[in-house]
Amino acid sequence: MKKIYTLTIILALFVVMSCDKDVQSVQELKTLTPADTDANAGTWKPVLLTSNSQIIVPAPIAISSQAYQDDLQKIRDIQGSLTKAQRNAIEYWSAGGILRWNEILRGLVAKFNLPPAPNNLGAYPAPDAENPFGDPNFPFANPPYASRAYSYITAAQYDALKAAWYWKYQHNRQAPYDIDPSTIQALVPKSTLPSYPSEDAVMSAVSAEVLKLLFPAAVEEITLKAAEQRNAALWSGKASSNDISAGLTLGKAVATLFTDRAKTDGMSTAIGTPAQWKLLSENAIARGEIPWVSLETPPRPPMLPFFGLRSIGAATVGVKTWNVEYGTKIAAERPAEPPKTASSEMADEVAEVRYYSENVTRERLAIVHKWADGAGTYTPPGHWNEIASHYIEASNFSEVRAARAFALLNMAVHDAAVGCWETKYYYFNPRPCQMDAKIKTATGVPNFPAYTSGHSTFSGSAATVLSYLFPADAQYFNEQANEASLSRMYGGIHYRSDCQMGLDHGKRIANYTVNFAKADGSN
Amino acid sequence: MKRTLLITALILLLSAGAMRAQTVNDGLTMPAKTFCTGFMFQHDQWKNYWEGTLKRDNQNIGTLTTQSLMYYGVYGISKKLNVMATVPYVWTKASMGTLRPMEGVQDLTLAAKYRLLEVPAGPGKFATFVAGAFSTPLTDYTPDFLPLSIGLASTTLSGRFTTNYQMNNGLYINASAAYTNRFNVKLDRPAYYTDDKYYSTNEVWMPNVFDFIVDVGYHKGPLQTEVFYTQMNTLGGGDIRRQDMPFVSNKMNASRVGALVMYYLPFPKNMAVRLSGNYTVAGRNVGQTTSLLGGLLYTFYFTKNKD
Repeated sequence: MKKIYTLTIILALFVVMSCDKDVQSVQELKTLTPADTDANAGTWKPVLLTSNSQIIVPAPIAISSQAYQDDLQKIRDIQGSLTKAQRNAIEYWSAGGILRWNEILRGLVAKFNLPPAPNNLGAYPAPDAENPFGDPNFPFANPPYASRAYSYITAAQYDALKAAWYWKYQHNRQAPYDIDPSTIQALVPKSTLPSYPSEDAVMSAVSAEVLKLLFPAAVEEITLKAAEQRNAALWSGKASSNDISAGLTLGKAVATLFTDRAKTDGMSTAIGTPAQWKLLSENAIARGEIPWVSLETPPRPPMLPFFGLRSIGAATVGVKTWNVEYGTKIAAERPAEPPKTASSEMADEVAEVRYYSENVTRERLAIVHKWADGAGTYTPPGHWNEIASHYIEASNFSEVRAARAFALLNMAVHDAAVGCWETKYYYFNPRPCQMDAKIKTATGVPNFPAYTSGHSTFSGSAATVLSYLFPADAQYFNEQANEASLSRMYGGIHYRSDCQMGLDHGKRIANYTVNFAKADGSN
Repeated sequence: MKRTLLITALILLLSAGAMRAQTVNDGLTMPAKTFCTGFMFQHDQWKNYWEGTLKRDNQNIGTLTTQSLMYYGVYGISKKLNVMATVPYVWTKASMGTLRPMEGVQDLTLAAKYRLLEVPAGPGKFATFVAGAFSTPLTDYTPDFLPLSIGLASTTLSGRFTTNYQMNNGLYINASAAYTNRFNVKLDRPAYYTDDKYYSTNEVWMPNVFDFIVDVGYHKGPLQTEVFYTQMNTLGGGDIRRQDMPFVSNKMNASRVGALVMYYLPFPKNMAVRLSGNYTVAGRNVGQTTSLLGGLLYTFYFTKNKD
């Protein structure tokens, strides 16, 4: 009897100690085999470039030259002694550079999406671009910052790849694995896409250069990933050193156009000053409204009031948009005024939020947490990129068409963020918890005015663009957007009107990007 | 941040040799065919917590209070083999900020303890025990709302080894260590960031836990009293980042000191009260908890022989 017990115990301990439960941090993606190379992408409409040939890519060195033959020998040598790590890098990037950079970007947003902690004086030091490794880190990649970051990276990638496609078909050089198929292996699926300039090098350079401006404290991981992508292209037999150096130069040149825009797009003044914050509050009081106040202790300055709002006092700020002209359209598309804070309509709205706050079901809590996307996460724009990544993967898009999909999505979401933030600070409306302190929330209360809901606006715009790109799944995208929108009311942090008006606003704003897409020559 | 309840429950159950909560006489396990059962109420609170290794407070949490009412039962199959079960109902709340309180039935824990050895040694006797435990959530509560989640929602398997020296004059010393394997948990969201990595999945790898407890006490007649030190180390997991929320797989470590008194009342017969408290003296990604526990236990004898 004793032996049986002892054996059972030993066996149980063995089971306890040896369970395998590994969870991979790398997104599982299939190897990219594009359904179409999109050979005419060099004619598609650019976003920021004046034309796809704006940046000149000179002719490649001759295949017969000693320099090119040395390039080929270099590939043969490396392929003859590939390590496990090198093979893993090839496999990782074979899912497609656009999908991988999107995954890296979502990770960077989540890494830097942390609000400053209060210091011992009860103040919140602002993130400092000149001291990105300090406490707090720069940036605080909150939803507006993130929406802008996603849009810059993906729009820059899209323009850079259209330029690459243009020059690829000007120079029409084959990949090393086609030039010398007897000695150079194709360690990724073969493609008829010309290899000069290397699209992988273009993506690595444009992504890294723009990312380093937006996430300067991540310079090391960004640089390593970019180098790995170029190496993987070389090791796989897909690109020669000559293809790669031309791609690197083109990618960097395109990046400069985008980083120059980003440096002067209004972001650096979007935080505003204490005097401007006071004015926002005084303006609301002058209209007879209860002004928004921070519900945090100590009170935190409002999140990026001048990300959207353009003029307050003498200052004219506001962040640049992509497809919705700021001067004429942002104010024109602004949702109608919310219920007055003293109105019975508002009282009804508060009562409805209180109901959801006091009647949390497990199903509604799951919806709140599915869409919370708060501090420390990739934000709602990142959530929609994550959703898009699955559709882009499944569609076997070429790199340039994948870049288009993400760029359209993120330009629309960024414009929606600008529109929503303009609306929030224009009305400066209080949160439900401010109107009724008995309302408790199932997720953190965002530190900015209620009307309209950012989640709803982001989601309305994202669902509209994705429905345009993947019409067969339009119903699904709209259901997800509705769920994201309502999650904020279920969580006790938004009124129903914030959600509904925000959702509609996001859809209207996205139509500007859809109109751009319909006429971009890609269809 | 402070999901210590499960661990507390495990320590309670599995260090039975240490605390001898279920023993009714000099033995270190329940005699055969006896059943000790009752309820324990626990009140935990903290104001400061460790964000990684940085100790801080948070005025948007204020004081975090966790209370639980735990059903407790232990049965002596034989003098050497006992089986036990607990089920707590847990309430959490924060004194400041807007985050809502949570409550619900937490995890069922089932355990078996076996006395491997008992030999006379000097002025007393020396004994060793092994124990195994299984715990699993009884409800679909979320582990993704820390520090207000009622638990970590992980199914666990744990193995424990205990040694005990009991002197004839009532003094004893005891040491116990356990390794707990925690199964992965699933979140309501499709992605998360922890330990410097972004995960595009709702599944979270849960690091395992090692803990030990050392205690010194006196046990004679109806009275048992002791002081103890416990150490819990999570074998992996990330820190809470600066001003971030805690996460289910964080590296939660805690060092606690405490004391226990258990007394069998003269009336009603077979009824015992149990009081204990502990304080977290050091930690990582946990609250600096003060914990108080009070329990009322009753023993049923299904045999005429009461030893």
